Amino acid sequence: MNKELILQHGLTLDEFQIIEDCLKRDLTMEELGIFSAMWNEHCCYKTSKKWLKKLPTKNDIVIQGPGENAGIIDLEDNDGIAFKIESHNHPSYIEPFNGSATGVGGILRDIFTMGARPIATLDSIRFGEIKTDKTKYLLNGVVHGIGHYGNCIGIPNIGGECEFDKTYDYNNLVNAMAIGHVKKNAIFYSKPKTVGGLIVYIGSKTGKDGIHGASMASDVFSEDDEDDKRPSVQVGDPFMEKLLMEGCLELMSSGLIESMQDMGAAGITSSSVEMASKGNVGVLINLDKIPLRQPLTPYEILLSESQERMLAVIEKGNDEKVREILKKWQIDFEVIGEITNTKRVVFESQNKKIVDLPVNIIVDDAPEYDREFYLPKKRNKRKFDLSNLTLEKMISNLLNNLNHLEKSWVYNQYDSTVMGDTVKEPGQATGIVKLHDSQKVIGASTDCNPLYIRINPELGMIYTVAEAYRNLIASNIKPMAITNNLNFASPLDPNIMGEIVLSVNGLKISASQLDTPIVSGNVSLYNQTNDAPINPTPVIGMVGSNSNINKIVSNKFQSEGDIIISIGENIDPHKSPYFLQDQEIVEDINLYNELENINLEDEKITAKILMEISDNNLLQSCNDISRGGIFMTLMKMIQKNYGFNIKASNDFELFCEYKSGYVTTIKENNLKKVFALLDENKINYEEIGRVVIEEIKINSKNIDYFDIKDQYLNNFERIIN
Amino acid sequence: MSFKSAVITFPGSNCDRDAITYLRDLTNNDVLNIWHDETFIPSVDLIILPGGFSFGDYLRSGAMASKSNIIPEVIKHANSGKFLLGICNGFQILSEIGLLKGALIQNNKLKFLGKDCFVKKKHENKFNKLIKKDQVLQIPVAHNEGNFYCSNDDLNYLNDEELIAFEYCMGSFSNSDANINGSINNIAGITNEGKNVLGMMPHPERAYQNFHTSMDGKSIIESLIT
Repeated sequence: MNKELILQHGLTLDEFQIIEDCLKRDLTMEELGIFSAMWNEHCCYKTSKKWLKKLPTKNDIVIQGPGENAGIIDLEDNDGIAFKIESHNHPSYIEPFNGSATGVGGILRDIFTMGARPIATLDSIRFGEIKTDKTKYLLNGVVHGIGHYGNCIGIPNIGGECEFDKTYDYNNLVNAMAIGHVKKNAIFYSKPKTVGGLIVYIGSKTGKDGIHGASMASDVFSEDDEDDKRPSVQVGDPFMEKLLMEGCLELMSSGLIESMQDMGAAGITSSSVEMASKGNVGVLINLDKIPLRQPLTPYEILLSESQERMLAVIEKGNDEKVREILKKWQIDFEVIGEITNTKRVVFESQNKKIVDLPVNIIVDDAPEYDREFYLPKKRNKRKFDLSNLTLEKMISNLLNNLNHLEKSWVYNQYDSTVMGDTVKEPGQATGIVKLHDSQKVIGASTDCNPLYIRINPELGMIYTVAEAYRNLIASNIKPMAITNNLNFASPLDPNIMGEIVLSVNGLKISASQLDTPIVSGNVSLYNQTNDAPINPTPVIGMVGSNSNINKIVSNKFQSEGDIIISIGENIDPHKSPYFLQDQEIVEDINLYNELENINLEDEKITAKILMEISDNNLLQSCNDISRGGIFMTLMKMIQKNYGFNIKASNDFELFCEYKSGYVTTIKENNLKKVFALLDENKINYEEIGRVVIEEIKINSKNIDYFDIKDQYLNNFERIIN
Repeated sequence: MSFKSAVITFPGSNCDRDAITYLRDLTNNDVLNIWHDETFIPSVDLIILPGGFSFGDYLRSGAMASKSNIIPEVIKHANSGKFLLGICNGFQILSEIGLLKGALIQNNKLKFLGKDCFVKKKHENKFNKLIKKDQVLQIPVAHNEGNFYCSNDDLNYLNDEELIAFEYCMGSFSNSDANINGSINNIAGITNEGKNVLGMMPHPERAYQNFHTSMDGKSIIESLIT
């Protein structure tokens, strides 16, 4: 086969050689297309597999770990929670609206494919510097796209992150997470059960959109790519997805379906191959039966990533009953093939076999690389000149930095209260929804600290996991499990590969120690344009629960006169990376000091005691301390006309980062009980002030309450417009 | 007294379950769920047309749903003087059917708006009779086309006949505009001439349980059943 053609399909010549050696014959074009789709980074994890295998994925509460459409954890009483996060980075740069919309669509399908009704979404989005029109266009398009899809299908968006940094100028990140509720005895898997079962196609017709989408997502961009690659972005239709979701959930509860798999990346190719591989069976599919939107060649059908499509297996004889249910939902349905015992993937068209491949070659022989990686260099110890920083200047720097501002401009474009079970909307430490007609609540948070991870990938990742953990603890949600979305630049650069290896190790260490296994995830590599890599951005979504909604703690001030306590240990300003970055002390990444070590045992003890205090109704409110220090935490806690009056031994203490850090407010008459518990467990804490009305006072210095509050709430919109 | 109610589901409705739960909890009675393709609705006291994106908002929000098979039954119910409540997309459908004056056009800021809004009652009717004059209700909105618009004649008519059920207002600590979406005269909800058909953009079914940001949405159903 022509060398050019092989390379165009994203395969290396070595990889192609493996295929030829196994098959001992020439490949058809369609077969080349299949290997292109299945052997790219996005589908077969060839770079990351070696390292992902080391992650903890099991404990008593894990019902389903990685490898299915979504992970599932056990919430007792037959309740299971399915969740996963997935990236749509490359498409969202080329076409932000459709790219992000279909990101939401894809992750929702992963959830309801397992028989779970989606109950919440979160999204973690990152953009370059806001100065350029391009970034504004991307921000507007991505937020519009996420809202458009989620709002229409009617799943509440309960949180996420939105960060700006120049390393994302040419590679914005869009990671969408979805959570679903499933009855444990009604979980659906992608593994087919019976040979002879009918393979059926459910959903939208197949068109030309998204052909080679998955291989695009496994490549580096160059400058002219934007226009060339636009046709490989899928176009979503949330109305169709809503019908598909209701139709599929009804089919599943009718008992007519044996297994199901969504046609996501690499469309019918990857869904049918995965089905065959999981069931250790074969598939025979007639491509002439696929419902088409326009005339397509077999090659195009195999690689189309048209949205809102499902592949299912049903028992012979059930097809008319299935058709009847789907007709109500106006969904296309076609029997396209059957499960065979050949362990081969066969596609036919016009009575000719155009693809005939053993499943094990595609799946088990997929390449797995042990790429070269470098460890980060040792850092010098530096002291920085902080003498120019005044209280006013530090506040002003934070309130003019998009990363710290209230982002209601973003989440007010999302429907956060549809389904009627939202307990905490976006803009708080934890997004929380209640299970319908139950007292149980689910909390979730997405987090990543790319700057920490660039400085020290392993330790930085531990900080990230600890922060997500604290986000849940602050609301009295018990952290249970993690889904991850590893966004990195090109792994062919050993420095980047080092970031991948070490941060996955950091994830392993922290997830093991905190007993929050990884149950699902996604890897997105090659997020770089030419030589400019993104910051390492392994995002995690952490999910937890509380069986009693009445024990949830607010993240905002509750009443005047409450005592404000800070908990945890503050980090030296010279070793607080975000403080140094936000106060514009350091720009060059090489100049930062090494991160301070973090002790996860302290983190666990603090969490345990805080949950105990919360269960005893002794906390008025609680929030975690992260970027922007105590000051930003206090700003986030302001609601109604509350303010704060606090004291600190020096101003820096209020702005630099914390370890195991929380701010809580407590009623004066509960103070003794809380202090006793904290003392008993040797937890660091300090009484720093009180909740007051329409006032912000720091070390007796009055700060203009209305001005600061207005800046915090409205500067985001002012800066981006 | 047992208050009977029904919720219509169109393809793309996504607040139908919320509306059913709301009615079930506040009327202490089972709620009928009627599929848009049906042609009969058993006798009930109240029908809700729920929020969502019926038929994907294709053509215009509410336009396609207004032609559904169930609509003649809904009109019959309304003409008999019984209660009909359209929430969000339901309001848009009522406008498209012509049971209510005016139209809902795109928000003036051209963006979807999902947040708590503040409303008070303007003219009294059976849906808001328990709400005090000048009482500020906090209820979520979630819409892209909630900007109420009508001709001057219609506006005069709505005022003269006292058909404006709710208008947007300032909340106690809100620092944004009272008028969230550009609606003419801050209109958030209107009734028909008989005052038995109400269309409103805010979602009372998302503001009635103790974990919601407010429980002000209760008052509408409580007004109807008292």
